Amino acid sequence: MKALLIVGSPRGQASASRALGGYLLRRLRASGLDVEEAAAGAVLGSPERRHALYKASDEADIVIVSFPLYVDQLPAPLVQALELLAERRRGAMGLTPWPGPFEQKLAAIVQSGFPETSQNLVAVDIMRQFAKEAGFRWAGGLALGMGGAVGRRPLEKAGGRLRNVVKALDIAAASLAAGGDIPDGAAALMARPLMPFWLYRAAATWGFRRRIRKNGARTPRRPT
Amino acid sequence: MNVLILDGGPRDGRGAACRVVAAAAADWARRRGHAVAFLSPDGMALEPCRSCFACWVKHPGACAIRDDAEAIVRAAAAADLMVWITPVTFGGYGPALKRALDRVLPILLPDFIVRRRETRHPLRYVRRRALVVLGTRPDPDPEAERIFHRLVARNALNWDSVHSASHVVTERDESGSAGRVEDLLRAAEEAL
Repeated sequence: MKALLIVGSPRGQASASRALGGYLLRRLRASGLDVEEAAAGAVLGSPERRHALYKASDEADIVIVSFPLYVDQLPAPLVQALELLAERRRGAMGLTPWPGPFEQKLAAIVQSGFPETSQNLVAVDIMRQFAKEAGFRWAGGLALGMGGAVGRRPLEKAGGRLRNVVKALDIAAASLAAGGDIPDGAAALMARPLMPFWLYRAAATWGFRRRIRKNGARTPRRPT
Repeated sequence: MNVLILDGGPRDGRGAACRVVAAAAADWARRRGHAVAFLSPDGMALEPCRSCFACWVKHPGACAIRDDAEAIVRAAAAADLMVWITPVTFGGYGPALKRALDRVLPILLPDFIVRRRETRHPLRYVRRRALVVLGTRPDPDPEAERIFHRLVARNALNWDSVHSASHVVTERDESGSAGRVEDLLRAAEEAL
């Protein structure tokens, strides 16, 4: 079996989305799957990488898309990359259609800087709709709030605060590797708050204000 | 009243339905005597947002990337009524509109506040705004449309809009859409 991870963060390798998706991919590899990885932004800038993505998605049994929430949905480069994939699989725009016919699954990991996991649910629904329109079987989504707490480090080095996140990914990987979908239990674990909402809001606001002060920046009243 | 129309359709043939809807919206706004800013993101030089937060913590209110997004931020900051038009893409917005909206981050402040029981960022430029988002699809798809309406409702919350509406025009109904579009815009105008 093969698994393909598409990282939808414009920050690419240095992103929480890569940390989450990368961990899941390593767990799948440990279960014996062949794995491959692509960055949505890089795919758009290079025809060679675009065709490499088409080939990798054709060959994958499981495609995992991991991305941050931007304005309540997917970042623009990821929307564009998925649109290209869907058009190619439908044979639109004169592109060679996906040859099929084996069943391919699509799973998603969505994380946002807001504390409420529920803010990610429209984005999860968009991914499910993409799966439907592009001919994948929807294998489920993992949604995480307080994504800023994940950081960019490999999750193998994560502290105890992220234990539920790691456990959720472990459960999801075991199920996907065994031919199943992402269990509801994994999604529920991932959705558990990493800290009280009020604390996260206070800490995140303090963090940004500290960076503003450090930069000696001021807030203008009108656009400059 | 300042009206910002963002025609988020692609410039090629796939954006034809968006152009028809955007033209109807612009025509209505001009007939009503409103000041219209009409922008087509697919024809603009817009780099994707890098999520560097420089617009929050280094030079607040101004993006680190100097390109056509500045015009969109200015128009959005000044708009009383925003009208976004987009192909409904997997229930969400198409790449061109989404790229424009990702770059409007400077209009928000980095603080985390609670608005209608959810965490949000406050607006840097507070104004009474209304939001109307019009989607196009070749054929009806109830699930895609349901996702689209929920997305618009969430975006309206980001903008603290006093009024919001969304509607999906299927391309076979395109000719009959102008009346519906005008009804939605009139309702937004009355709410403001």
